[in-house]
Amino acid sequence: MFIILYYDVSEKRCSKMLKKCRAYLQWVQNSVFEGNLTESQLKRLISVLAKIVNEEEGDSLIIYKFESQRYTDRIVVGKDKKSDINFI
Amino acid sequence: MKETIYIFNSGRIQRKDNTLFFESEDGTNKFLPVENIKEIFVFGEVDFNKRILEFLTTKEIIVHFFNFYDYYIGSFYPREHYNSGYMILKQALAYEAINKRLKIARCFVEGAAKNSLKILKYYNRRGQNLSSIIEEIESYLQEIECQESIETLMHVEGKIKQSYYGAFKNIINNSDFTFEKRTKKPPKDYLNALISFSNSLIYTYCLSEIYQTHLDPRMGFLHATNFRRFSLNLDIAEIFKPVIGDRTIFAVLNKGIIDSKDFDNNLNGIILKPSGCRKFLEVLQERLNQTIKHSTLKREVSYRRLIRLECYKIEKFLMEYYEYKPFVMDW
Repeated sequence: MFIILYYDVSEKRCSKMLKKCRAYLQWVQNSVFEGNLTESQLKRLISVLAKIVNEEEGDSLIIYKFESQRYTDRIVVGKDKKSDINFI
Repeated sequence: MKETIYIFNSGRIQRKDNTLFFESEDGTNKFLPVENIKEIFVFGEVDFNKRILEFLTTKEIIVHFFNFYDYYIGSFYPREHYNSGYMILKQALAYEAINKRLKIARCFVEGAAKNSLKILKYYNRRGQNLSSIIEEIESYLQEIECQESIETLMHVEGKIKQSYYGAFKNIINNSDFTFEKRTKKPPKDYLNALISFSNSLIYTYCLSEIYQTHLDPRMGFLHATNFRRFSLNLDIAEIFKPVIGDRTIFAVLNKGIIDSKDFDNNLNGIILKPSGCRKFLEVLQERLNQTIKHSTLKREVSYRRLIRLECYKIEKFLMEYYEYKPFVMDW
């Protein structure tokens, strides 16, 4: 399924989140990621990230999941920082 | 669905922040999500170190290497992660029992022939005159059942392939791509170069799928097990060459995605240029991700998945649960 993930965490934990997310998803913008994962991969990712997120300090993590991208439309204004990683 | 990465650029791939990092010569850097990678195809000049191989092993990512002429040179096949002495024993016993080996080898040839026929019949309906070739292959199909040795079976397979390739010039409506006869090492014309490239890719996809099962790729049934490289992937690929590879070839040529300018013929033989190679892979990847309704599973499966399902069917056959029936396109 297609995932859009974004987080807003304290500066201290930013790089931690970035590194973990990079291993599963593709970086799109600062603190925004996209990619295709399976249900189990997503569960693993959430459990890893949940350990970093600190609710008391106001951190939040939001994940959108879509069965398919069929009824979605991706509109980009300005530079699209997401690049093709299947063919490099 | 894990993804496949194709590397054409030259550069360095390394482990960084517990994921893969590709640093290309032109200065562009990319992080690759390691948890979501199934395999990597390397066409460019890429530097590796042992640390990354270790990392790829733990993540069970297989890496296929191709040389400058787009020839398959080998794979980094991480240590087996599905260890099963039981399965290897069953596989070896089936290889030794000539009846069982013949049975399964016949299925591979039969699957390849039936899938080829499906394609020919499709183009026949579209007005290409292929009925004589279809009849020829259908008569060879009858012969498969009564072959009592692998050698004669391979001979029948060769005859089927020859008639099948003979139909290519009718299907492809581009005068640059004519077909005289199958030539390899090196291919002598454009079409042969494309077929060779496509086949070597299908072999590697099959190898990647076998890696995900308990089967041992060194033990083939149709292609004899010897001191060569892997052979089971060559067997399974027979079924999928027409279904995936050849149909992609027709698509890229008939839609004009690849033409004679995408080949390099200044060398001894003819090879695909990197640009053509990339264009072909893009279309092939699209085909692999395309889904079809599976008639027995009653759900959508991708072409890529079909290869894995074929491996599972072979496992089931070796464990004597089910009779093995090769995958045949039913549309």
